[in-house]
Amino acid sequence: MTRRVRGLGLGVALLLLYGWFFAATEVSLTRFVRGIPWMADFLRRMFPPDLSVLASAAVGALQTLQIAVVGTTVAALLALPLGFLSARNVVSGPVFYPARALLNFFRSIDTMVYALFFVAAVGLGPFPGVLAVVTYTTMTLAKLYSEAIEGIEPGPVEAIAATGANRLQVLRFGILPQVVPLFASYVLYRLETNIRAATILGFVGAGGIGFYIQTYLRMINYPAAAAVLLVLVVLIMGVDFTSSRLRARIV
Amino acid sequence: MIHIRGLRKTFPPNTVALDGVDLDIAPGEFVMVIGQSGAGKSTLLRCMNRLIEPTEGEIGLNGSRVTGASPEALRAVRRQMGMIFQQFNLVRRASVMENVLAGRLGYVPGVPSLFGRFPHRDREMAMAALRLVGLEDFAERRADRLSGGEQQRVAIARALAQEPKVILADEPTASLDPMLTESIMGILQRINRERRLTLIVSQHMLETALAYGTRIVGLRQGRIAFDGPPGAITPDIVQAIYEGGRL
Repeated sequence: MTRRVRGLGLGVALLLLYGWFFAATEVSLTRFVRGIPWMADFLRRMFPPDLSVLASAAVGALQTLQIAVVGTTVAALLALPLGFLSARNVVSGPVFYPARALLNFFRSIDTMVYALFFVAAVGLGPFPGVLAVVTYTTMTLAKLYSEAIEGIEPGPVEAIAATGANRLQVLRFGILPQVVPLFASYVLYRLETNIRAATILGFVGAGGIGFYIQTYLRMINYPAAAAVLLVLVVLIMGVDFTSSRLRARIV
Repeated sequence: MIHIRGLRKTFPPNTVALDGVDLDIAPGEFVMVIGQSGAGKSTLLRCMNRLIEPTEGEIGLNGSRVTGASPEALRAVRRQMGMIFQQFNLVRRASVMENVLAGRLGYVPGVPSLFGRFPHRDREMAMAALRLVGLEDFAERRADRLSGGEQQRVAIARALAQEPKVILADEPTASLDPMLTESIMGILQRINRERRLTLIVSQHMLETALAYGTRIVGLRQGRIAFDGPPGAITPDIVQAIYEGGRL
């Protein structure tokens, strides 16, 4: 009986909470419906896409790809020591807890915020974009690495130690073969995510295809923006396809 | 060959696994360690190469000290003792050959080995070990593609690749069916007879222990309750070792 009352109370509380959140975010179906003609108008004005900007869009897309690849690769390496330092079965509490706290702190700030910070620090262009991707991705990958390390089977590690191998050999033959395929899979997954993140880096002046999207939208040149979006879709689909096939082969 | 005096192991907070074990094992013996689960069989084997650190007591191998050995000296001791485990403990994602080559890690130059480079001679020894367990055609397969019995044979090959003086086998057949148990124990027996290797095997199946061992060591509550040839085992002794529990 009391359980039922409690359940009912919880339901009502949740309902009130959602009511409040919907009101606070000004969710309105009528406003949405009234906006439909404008959306249609926007889309109509994008057609036909202005294919004359394809070349410059491709250059932007290439730069986005470059930012994502460089940023992800550097992060993949930087995350290695951090990953081991925040694995419970590798280090003890005094190292583990600060390392985990550090990761969680910096991971809660998004790539975009880092981009603003680095644009202010080193100026416009792809470089602050790379720095932003590196910072966020290092933290994310270190967390994923450490979880992979914590999940290894101790048996093979023990068996390698029993052969008379030294510590580095135990790491190389007992631990790495268990975690490297997982690491590689996480890195590829982050690459896919980073291509998307790098897309909008251009909005804050941190290089890549986002610059073109933002510029054409501001110039109210929708056909050009549409062409850039097409290039973007091709880029993302290409990277996703390649990456997911690679991941399927690794694990 | 192996010399154990006053060996004790206490796991925190106060579980006594080994309670004063004295044991001398001569070269070429096939020692079967029997006893109930929890009697200390596994702990005894794992103390011998210090995968478990003994709380008290001394262990020696061929005159060199195992207990108190420096990390480097311990590695030299360990490479003379091959170890086989109940769960095989192969690196699943690595190939059979890589798993067997791991047996050479205590001998090969350290830095090249980290890049996966092994001297030709060591590769040949690994291959010879695989041939001995009849798996030379499986060298390039991934370890986890093999059946349980095959994986245990790979693990035996890894131990043999060490060119050990002793092989410690911790319940090597407990994860296998009776047919495979015969096959694995047969391989171990052959190694013992043909290579004069000393074998120390923990075995929860009494019949298997009696069929293969040249010497039986019965543990009860961390102490040696029987030590003698299989022929000397009587129902009363079995009763004493297993405390009237099983069998």
